[in-house]
Amino acid sequence: MKDRLTAAVKKSRAGYTEIRVERTWSSAVAFRGKRLETATVSEDQGGFVRVLNKGCGWGIASFTSLDELPAMVARANELSRAVRLDEPIRLADTPPQTADAVLDLDGDVRGIALSEKKSLLDRYNGAMLAVSDKIVDTQASYRDEVSEVWYVNSEGTSLYQLRPEIVLSGTAIGRRDGNIEKGLESIGLRKGWNSVQNFGAQFRAVGERAVALLDAPRVKGSAYPVILDNELAGVFIHEAFGHLSEADFVYENPQAREMMTLGRKFGKPVLNVGDNGAASGLRGTLPYDDEGTPTQDTPLIKEGILVGRLHSRETAAKLGERPTGNARAISFRHPPIVRMTNTYIAPAKNGVGFADLIRDIKLGVYACGAFGGQTMLENFSFTAAWGHMIRDGQVAEMVKDVVLAGNLFQTLDRIDHIAGDFTWNQMGGGCGKGGQFPLPVTEGAPHVRIEEALIGGDM
Amino acid sequence: MIDQLLEHTRGKVDGADALWRREEQTAVAFESGRLKAAGISEETGLNLRVLAGGRMGVAGTTAAEPDVAALVVRARASAGLGEVVDLAFPRPSSQSLPPIPTFFDRTANASLDDLIRIGRLLVERLSRPDCQVNVSVEREVAETAVGNTVGARGEYRGTGIAVSAEVTRIAGDDVLMIFDQYVGADMPGDADLESLVRSIETRLAAALKIVTPPDGALPVIFTPAGLAAVVLPLEQALSGKTVLQGSSPLAGKVGQQLFDERLAIVDDPLTPGRPVSRPIDDECVASRCTSLVDRGLVGRFVYDLETAARAKTESTGNGRRGVFGKPHIGYTNILFRVADGAGMRHPSAPTDALGGGLLDGVRDGLIVDDLIGVGQGNVISGAFSHPVGLAYRVQHGEITGRVKDAAVAGNAYDLLKRIGGFGSDGRWLGSRWSPSLLLEGVSVASR
Repeated sequence: MKDRLTAAVKKSRAGYTEIRVERTWSSAVAFRGKRLETATVSEDQGGFVRVLNKGCGWGIASFTSLDELPAMVARANELSRAVRLDEPIRLADTPPQTADAVLDLDGDVRGIALSEKKSLLDRYNGAMLAVSDKIVDTQASYRDEVSEVWYVNSEGTSLYQLRPEIVLSGTAIGRRDGNIEKGLESIGLRKGWNSVQNFGAQFRAVGERAVALLDAPRVKGSAYPVILDNELAGVFIHEAFGHLSEADFVYENPQAREMMTLGRKFGKPVLNVGDNGAASGLRGTLPYDDEGTPTQDTPLIKEGILVGRLHSRETAAKLGERPTGNARAISFRHPPIVRMTNTYIAPAKNGVGFADLIRDIKLGVYACGAFGGQTMLENFSFTAAWGHMIRDGQVAEMVKDVVLAGNLFQTLDRIDHIAGDFTWNQMGGGCGKGGQFPLPVTEGAPHVRIEEALIGGDM
Repeated sequence: MIDQLLEHTRGKVDGADALWRREEQTAVAFESGRLKAAGISEETGLNLRVLAGGRMGVAGTTAAEPDVAALVVRARASAGLGEVVDLAFPRPSSQSLPPIPTFFDRTANASLDDLIRIGRLLVERLSRPDCQVNVSVEREVAETAVGNTVGARGEYRGTGIAVSAEVTRIAGDDVLMIFDQYVGADMPGDADLESLVRSIETRLAAALKIVTPPDGALPVIFTPAGLAAVVLPLEQALSGKTVLQGSSPLAGKVGQQLFDERLAIVDDPLTPGRPVSRPIDDECVASRCTSLVDRGLVGRFVYDLETAARAKTESTGNGRRGVFGKPHIGYTNILFRVADGAGMRHPSAPTDALGGGLLDGVRDGLIVDDLIGVGQGNVISGAFSHPVGLAYRVQHGEITGRVKDAAVAGNAYDLLKRIGGFGSDGRWLGSRWSPSLLLEGVSVASR
């Protein structure tokens, strides 16, 4: 395949040409309540061509018919030439890479019978349903894939990558009279069959949470000291800060660049944030990004100061910085754009624990898990999956409808304590941007304390 | 392709249906006012569903020359694990399919230069010294064929074009983003592009001044874009799937008066000129209009073939399927209408003014155009609580400026019991048509 792509790149009349071909084998099982929804095996394949000519813009073609490859290269070249630019697009230099990067399949999912996958999920789904007769509905899903990606460009890069992925998720709906509550868990790993055998307890907890929430009062809306658990702190840093650190937000926009000037103070010295696409075994991990740049650990905030951002080759050239290996596409149907990989808040070095974070809080909220989060640049909203009040330094009663809203700059600056209990939280789902969803990413954080944040609820 | 595939299933399964679709997209993207990229994408896919031993299985492929034998084997293997379902494929209709226009030559034949011209026009009209303008123009041409083993067939071609514009203004740490879009099956006319420009300009002009938000239970005008938080719970609750699962709060309430008696909502796949309109659904059920809410009464839930079979009712023609996975329920065009007993009509002269002509009665309240985080949380319960993405304060019938740092909360089902007013600014937003709605007693909190 590499030879075929190399030949097509050689024949290209464009200044710069890259070709990406993907072949993805996947299987999926889903339950809704006690009923199996689907059990299927799929094969998806296609190609992507992107070319650039001097004084011109990008020409792009994506297609499912690989026989069309030479025609598509020619077509992309025509499209590029139709886009005239006064200010040329430049790509930052990266040394050509040649490699076969085969990630550990950890129990090749292609060799496991679909019926075994159904049994596994049946067991996890059953664990949710068995919690209580108040569980009126569940959704459980299993999806695995092994994807092969070939990438060749006209600068001599030639890569083959084999990437496994496996995602489990469970939702339990508890209902009593008109009151409906939800528990949610998802697990996403860049691993295989061996890695998903022991999640029964997590699925049972989903059911237990949906039932417990039926009795929980709505949190009273107000400003509180708030502790984010590891999962929500991870979602927070990804959504609220991570997207602003993607250089395509600033590279063409002088005002945005000013707002995100390196050296700007973003938080107290306790705050350290980064993005690490090279971390081992995580869902956002890739040896090379979709422009063939090796991934790396990129510091973004160091001791409260903005020190870096995430780049593609185009954004790096424009800002005179170095590519960071963050150009990613969800599939051959899309061009690579600047995306996160594994984004984290680093743990405090002095070993502060959770107990130290809540000890001096008289009245506060412990916000746990995440139903979701969205940012509109400097404003964000996160819905915790559940919460607890903190009273006199102790975790107290469970509360529901914990929505955390605020301004990014204020909130980051109000992070005053960070614990040492770092975990990666390997969630399923994924990140959405520019019509590309779901992109596999991971978030990691320890417990994080915000001096004061607005919690919505009964107002 | 469909005939060949279905022929191949004969004798191997008890029944089958299939969908074949070919899509071609052409797109141009302007970043910060500059044309940066032009692209095409071509995709062909085939989805097969079989019934074998009373059980259902599916398989799909994007291969250009699909191996139909292998596809049937995969679908049968899937059925081997599947649940028993008493599903009957629709028979060929004695009547011809509804003749709705889905394909527009002008759209299909538009050249790359035509698309670039539209984008350039928007960039020129929207450029401001302190703003960044991103514009994209995407054109799609699709061919769809569906068929089943009891002889039903359907084929149609469709076109679609989406013209999106986004203006970003950053002043210090204040980030303002205003987005709007034209979506249609036919090319936008000058008037369409003009109204897209005006819509963005109007909202931008009103947003330049920042005012303090009010507090309390207040009247809030939800614009067609702002309505998403209110519509989403209804869409989930009116799906036959959630009804079947026992998680819909509207289950068992068909015919009950739960909403304002002037409110009517329909799902209409036969609306001319819309990209999701179609003569037949993805499971060979002829398209028809479904009344979801009529004069405030809960109307019909929407079903695909499988959920209809399980609920012992008929499919409403809402079957939707992709290349992979099994068919599922999907809405087509959702239209909000005002029912006033004398048929459907609008209360006053059309307007494109912000607030839809509903400002007059508002002493102190908000216009909500965008909320952050819609779709998170326990949507189907109807409860929502979101910070505003883009909202304006209304005082004594006048817009006084943009509010930041405010959140709105309420319950969609409760708020729709009494609608303070229907705006005369009804418009399409993607596949939803609605006017602005004035809803009373929405909880507004500042911070």
